[in-house]
Amino acid sequence: MSLQPRAFVTGIGVLCAGAKNVAELRSLLAEPRRSFAPPTLFPCTGTSAGLPAAEIGALPTDSDVPRTHQLALLAAREAVGSGPAPDAIIVGTTTGGILRTEAALKAGSTSPEDYCFHGLDTVALSLAQAFGVHGPVMTISTACSSAAVALAVGHALLRSGLARRVLVGGADSLCRLTFHGFRSLQLLAPDGCRPLDVNRAGMTVAEGAGFLLLESAPSRPILAVLAGTGLSCDAYHASSPHPEGAGAALAIGRALDDAGISPSDVDYINLHGTGTTDNDAAEAKAVRQIFGKPLPPLSSTKGLTGHPLAAAGGIEAVIATIAIGEGLLPANTGLLALDPALQVVPVAGPTRAPVKTVLSNSFGFGGNNACVVLQAPTARAVATFDGSTRGLPALRVASAACFTAVGDLPQTWDALMRGASTVGFVPDAAFVTAVAATFARRLKRLPRLMLALAQTAHQASGATLPPGLIAVGTAWGALAETHDFLRKLFESNEQFSSPTDFIGSVHNAPAGQIALLLGAAGPNLTCAAGDRSFAQALLCASLGLAAGSSSALVIAAEAYESHFSPLFEPASQGGQASDGGAALVVLPDDGAPGPRLRWLGESAAPGPEFVDELELGSLRDRYDAILVSRPAGFASATDDTIARIAQRGCPLVTVRDRLGQHASVSATVVAILARAVTEGTLPLGESPLPLVRKRLLFLDLGARSTAVEVFA
Amino acid sequence: MTQATDSLLPELARKLVETLGLDMSPESVDPNAPLIGAGLGIDSIDTLELVVMIDRDYGVKIDNRAAGVEAFASLAALANFIRERRPAASA
Repeated sequence: MSLQPRAFVTGIGVLCAGAKNVAELRSLLAEPRRSFAPPTLFPCTGTSAGLPAAEIGALPTDSDVPRTHQLALLAAREAVGSGPAPDAIIVGTTTGGILRTEAALKAGSTSPEDYCFHGLDTVALSLAQAFGVHGPVMTISTACSSAAVALAVGHALLRSGLARRVLVGGADSLCRLTFHGFRSLQLLAPDGCRPLDVNRAGMTVAEGAGFLLLESAPSRPILAVLAGTGLSCDAYHASSPHPEGAGAALAIGRALDDAGISPSDVDYINLHGTGTTDNDAAEAKAVRQIFGKPLPPLSSTKGLTGHPLAAAGGIEAVIATIAIGEGLLPANTGLLALDPALQVVPVAGPTRAPVKTVLSNSFGFGGNNACVVLQAPTARAVATFDGSTRGLPALRVASAACFTAVGDLPQTWDALMRGASTVGFVPDAAFVTAVAATFARRLKRLPRLMLALAQTAHQASGATLPPGLIAVGTAWGALAETHDFLRKLFESNEQFSSPTDFIGSVHNAPAGQIALLLGAAGPNLTCAAGDRSFAQALLCASLGLAAGSSSALVIAAEAYESHFSPLFEPASQGGQASDGGAALVVLPDDGAPGPRLRWLGESAAPGPEFVDELELGSLRDRYDAILVSRPAGFASATDDTIARIAQRGCPLVTVRDRLGQHASVSATVVAILARAVTEGTLPLGESPLPLVRKRLLFLDLGARSTAVEVFA
Repeated sequence: MTQATDSLLPELARKLVETLGLDMSPESVDPNAPLIGAGLGIDSIDTLELVVMIDRDYGVKIDNRAAGVEAFASLAALANFIRERRPAASA
C-alpha cells in the first residue's frame, strides 16, 4: 500500500451568526443562543417583512471588498494565523460578490467597475493576494455542499503531493438572491429553523465563513486529521433530495470507506439538518441505513448558525474540530418537539464526552452530496508523508465535443482547416435538438448547451455506463437565470421572484441536470474560477480518476447574456465576444489508442517563468507548438510575455483570435488539440501545421497561468 | 356571473402556459383536469412558480399544503380559489 500524505488540520477560522472567531464559536457551542432576525443588509418589506435570517452584523474589518470576500478573508486569516503561506487555496462559494451586483443592478448602473467582484473567482483571488499563494487557487460552487466538496478536493490535492499546505473552506454572505430564492421555494421557516422538529417549517438562510488549514507536514500543533471524504450525486431532482436519502447514504459510505473506518467508529454526526421537511426526512433515512442501531450521538447545528449555504461545510468542519478538541457534543438547538417519524434522537443540550471521530454531512441543490470525516490526532498512528511530489498521470481522451459559432466539433474543425473564423455565438440550431424538449422545458441557454455537450460526448465515447465523475467548469454560470431572477425581483419592488430562476441560477445547476440526464451518481463538481474553470475541472477529474473513478466527463461552457456579459466579462467588450464550450470523456491511461492529455499546473508565475517551473526540458524538442490563450483584460498576457515564450524556439500560436473570447474557450481549444494530435495537423495557426511529435502545450494566461499538454 | 369572472379562466390558462413555458395553446388546457402531475407535466417547482404568479397578480396566497391541494385540483378549481379569496379592491 502506497504511503499517502495525511491531511492534518493545523488551523481553523470561522464567522457565523453569533460568533466572529473560533473562541466565540467555542463559547456559543457550550452555551447556545439563537440570534435570528430579519436581514438588515437589504430591505425586507411587504411579503418578506419579519421573516428571520441569520446575519452576522458588522464585520471587524475596514476592507472595501464585498461582504463574502470580507468573511472569507477574516476566517482565512484566523486559520492561517502567523504560519507560513498556503501553497494552494480551495474556496467553496455560491454568492461571491452578488450582494454588490444586486445593489448596482438596482441602481441601474451600467459601469463594469461596479460589477468587477461578481465572478466567484474574485473571492479566492483576494485570499491568494492576501497570503501570496503560488499554486492552484480554486473555486468550487456546488450550492450548499460547496465547502465540503472543497474539503474533498483539498484532501485529494494534498494526497496527490501537488500541494503540502492547503487553505480550504467556504464563504457566503446573505444576499437578496438566496433570501428571496429560498423564500420563493417556501423553504424559509417563519420563526427560525427547528431541525428534526415535528413542526419544522424550513430553514433559516444565513451567512458565514469557515476555513481550515490542511498540512501534510504539520508546521504547528495538530488540531484534527481530515481522515476521509465522500462525494455523490442523487441524480434525482434539481432541488429536492432523493426521498430515501440514497445519494446521501452513498456519500456517507464513501467517506467512511475513504477514512478506513466502520460506522461504529463514529462518535458524533454533524447533520446537514437544514430544518426543511424533505432534507431532514431523507437524511434521517440515510443515517439509519448506514449506522443501524444504536445510532451515534448526532445533531444539526443549523438551529444555532442558520444555514450558511456554501460556507456550511467549512463552518461545520470547524465545529467538528472544536468538538474533538473540547470533547463536546454540540446541541440540536431550536428543537421543541422531536419528529418521531425520523427515528433519530439528537443531542438535546451541549454534552461533554470524548469525541475522536466526527462525520459531517453537507448536501445541496442538484442532489450534490459531500461528507467528511475528521478525527482526533491520537485516533490513529500518525503516518508521515515521504515528501515525494508526483505529477498527475496522463488521461486518455475517449471522446470530445464542442460548440462554436459555426456549430459542432466536425463543423468547427472544417472551418478552422479552411482558415475561417469560429468567433461568435453558438447558433441555437446547433444544440437545441440534442436534448428532448420535455427534459429541457425550463432550461435556458447554459444548461441546454451543457446538456447537449454532455450527451454528444457521452454517446461518442461508446460508454454503456454513466460517467464515474462529472466535472464542470463555468466562469459565469447561468447568467440569464440570475438576471431574470433579479429583474423580476426589482420589477416587483423586491416582493416577488421566480423559484425556477433561483434553482437554475446556482452555478452547479447544469452539472445537476447532466447527472439527471445520464444517471450519474458519482462525484459531481463545478469549478467557477474565471478563465481557469476548465483547467480546474480537468484537475478535479484527474484527482478523481487517480482516486479510483472509472471515467470522467469534463465540460466547460459559457452562455452569453446580453445584460450581464458585457458588464462582467472584459472579454465580452471587444469585437470577439463569443460563447460555447466543449466536453471530453477521459479515462485512466489504459494503453488503448487515442489522444492523451495531462494537467500540468496552475501558478501565480507569469507565462515564461511558469514554463520554467513546469520543468518540461527543451520545449522545441518536446512540442510541435505552444498554444496560448490570452484573455482580454489581463495584463499577464502582454505582447512582451508572448514574445518571451516565443524565444524558446517553439512555434507559438495564439488561439482566442480564431476561437473567440469567452472564459471556457480553453475547453474548446483542448477538444480541438485532441483531434489535432490524432490527425497529425494543427489548424489553429495561419495555415495548418503538420505535427511531427504530435505533442502540444496549451497555456492559458489569465489571472493566473495554467497548462495542459495534449499528445498522441 | 359577471363578465370579469368569466374571463378569469381563459386568463389563467394563458398565464399557466406563459409562466411555465408549456408547449401547448391556452385553449387546449382542460379546465377540469388535474393541474399537477400527469398530463401537463407540472411538478413541484412549476407549482411554486404558479404560487408566486397568483400572489403577485391576484393578491392570493397559497402557503400551505391543504390550500395547494384545493387550488391546484384543476384550472377551474384555481379560478374558484382565486375568486373566493381575491382582495375586494382588485376583484
